[in-house]
Amino acid sequence: MRFKASIQNTNTFTKLTASFNSLGPLAWVKLDAEHVHFTVIPEQGTQVWAVVSIDSIFDTYTVQSAANNVINLEVPLVLLNRALKTAWNASSAQIRLTKKDNVPLLALTIVTTSSSSHAGFPTAPTNNDDGFDAPFEQQLGGNSRETIITQEVPVRVLAPDVVAGLHEPQCREPDVHILLPPLLQLKSISDRFTKLSLIGKSGNGSAAPRTRLELSANMHGCLKLSIKTDAMSISSLWTDLSNPELDPSQITMDIADHPSTKMKQLGSADGRSEEGWATVRIDARDWGKVMSVGRLGGRVVACFCHEFALILYVYLPTDNGEQESVLTYYLKTTGHGTPLSS
Amino acid sequence: MAEDEEPPILTAVSNSARQLYLLLRCINFSEKAHVVITEEGIKFSVEEASSMEGSAFLDKSLFTTYIYRAPPRQEQPEQDNSDTESDTDLNTTPSFQISLPSLLETLQILGLTDPNNSKPLWARDNPSSTAFTNNVLGLNNMCLISYRRLGCPLSIILTESTIRTTCDLTTYEPDYADEIPFDRQSLAFKTIMRGTWLFDAISELSSTAPEHITLIARMSKGKPKFALSATGSLGSVRVELHNNGDSITTGAAHPSRPGAVRDADDVPKQANLLETFQLGDPTTPLRAAYKFSLIQKAAKAMSIATKVSVRVDTQGVLSLQFMIEVGGGEAGGGGGKVSFVDFRFVPLVDDEGDGDYEDEEEGKEGGDDGGEEEEEL
Repeated sequence: MRFKASIQNTNTFTKLTASFNSLGPLAWVKLDAEHVHFTVIPEQGTQVWAVVSIDSIFDTYTVQSAANNVINLEVPLVLLNRALKTAWNASSAQIRLTKKDNVPLLALTIVTTSSSSHAGFPTAPTNNDDGFDAPFEQQLGGNSRETIITQEVPVRVLAPDVVAGLHEPQCREPDVHILLPPLLQLKSISDRFTKLSLIGKSGNGSAAPRTRLELSANMHGCLKLSIKTDAMSISSLWTDLSNPELDPSQITMDIADHPSTKMKQLGSADGRSEEGWATVRIDARDWGKVMSVGRLGGRVVACFCHEFALILYVYLPTDNGEQESVLTYYLKTTGHGTPLSS
Repeated sequence: MAEDEEPPILTAVSNSARQLYLLLRCINFSEKAHVVITEEGIKFSVEEASSMEGSAFLDKSLFTTYIYRAPPRQEQPEQDNSDTESDTDLNTTPSFQISLPSLLETLQILGLTDPNNSKPLWARDNPSSTAFTNNVLGLNNMCLISYRRLGCPLSIILTESTIRTTCDLTTYEPDYADEIPFDRQSLAFKTIMRGTWLFDAISELSSTAPEHITLIARMSKGKPKFALSATGSLGSVRVELHNNGDSITTGAAHPSRPGAVRDADDVPKQANLLETFQLGDPTTPLRAAYKFSLIQKAAKAMSIATKVSVRVDTQGVLSLQFMIEVGGGEAGGGGGKVSFVDFRFVPLVDDEGDGDYEDEEEGKEGGDDGGEEEEEL
């Protein structure tokens, strides 16, 4: 079993692991010849199934195993993320699967070049043998020196039959699909709504009840985020968003029979109509975690299954327009929150 | 719908929600605020334990549009018509309570994140702005406050580019708690100074974590002297504001020497600290004590106020009136708008007999020449 790669884009990789880590502590990482699959299935809350193209994080890449050259790992995300943070602005970083005292681990070797302005700081302890080189180089007039950092992340190798039972959730065809506004914008408004819902509840002493955000969209470019408390009801409405066209090759049914085609007959583009909305209610804290993927800055298509589930497809931006990486989030609606007063 | 035919009681549009936020933040120390809507503006007031109250007045000049239509006087149509005129007035002046923290949070939503604003047009993700979109006209940030009719929620509509946020604040029955009476016709003391000076003084006093604050005003050798002093478990502090060119002098002392003051007569002359200084009875010093934690709640107003008028009436009630300039340079236009935020405090009664407030009785004797109009700041 061999896995070795040089990390081409440490910043993306770091943001990616940070976003996954907000959902759960462990990730199932599946490495094959073309993709890296990250799957986080927490006890409760949102699942994410991500398929990341090799190119978007790795450069040279080797993966070999007895099981069709596929390696399955259980990776503690906190440690991986922490290790990657040291690679921030590194000149190069490598990752490989190795073993130490019979414990499998992912070893990151990070080479950073620090400029003289940081020379006052003690360098991180390194295991390299050529400890003399750095000060020597500086004496020669070089204003920078190289530091090699090795980070080890213990992992568990998962046998193929262990993961064989894990399947991506199945869901019916969505009623509404819509391109979301920038996630950071959506997040800042959601966060404020969450804060609003907690006003006056902190004093009670008892644990604050879970806040439910209501998220609705129609097939006319409108998205509505709302929350209702005793003291107020508030909603933000986005208009002029786009509802992407369906790709006939991706769906099994005739487009004319697709639920979204029927939803298109209802509602209006100014969002004032009561009809044509597909609605889900989601836990505000969970939603906040999902929104953290916004730092990656990709396009996000939200698929609404009315009163059932919300599926977010996050397409990571690619520089060269090659294979896209897709992160898929599955959110279940949290039952009936506040009854709709229509 | 029939109910929509009637025009709303209040329609007020502002293009700077931030101005409203800055003013209302000054009185953010209570869950509920009492709201009264009149022809002249909207008054928000809060109170705490009946011993202090604060109010912010949003004058109609703060709004680009302010339309007020008094609700029809048909609240008790078939009842006895012997209602006095004042009774009817009470019923028709819209008055209710709302959650103030909710309102403040809502006002901050506007302009929260427009990631595009920091970038030039060509670097934006979706260059939606053209020469004819609202952004160019400065219309993209708008705050509409409306109150349709008695019993309806107070609704705030915030609009920016393609996002419209609607917030309906539940209106509660007003508490008819009496206002703290303040007799501005019989003042024992009045002075006007810069808000930040009062703020500095209060911050200085807070270092000893005091329970009470004592306000002392007297004429000494024809010069006005105004002092604030507080004693806490960590020591005592006295801040004096003199008018003959001295800046604030502070003296911190150990608990063994309470009230020690550093002599500061040799400080070079500066502009007068106290713009106005009137004692009801110039021959008798005024002493009055208040709960420090309550006074501290006005700190936000002190820190942003241009001027503060400090008044004590003959009953010892303290009134702090803050003049706040909002949005001089902001997009709101109409630079130099002045708004007022008021606080009133009930004095502590001298029941412990520790001698701190022994002169209070004397202060009550004055008050013949202290009457001033409230707006004259």
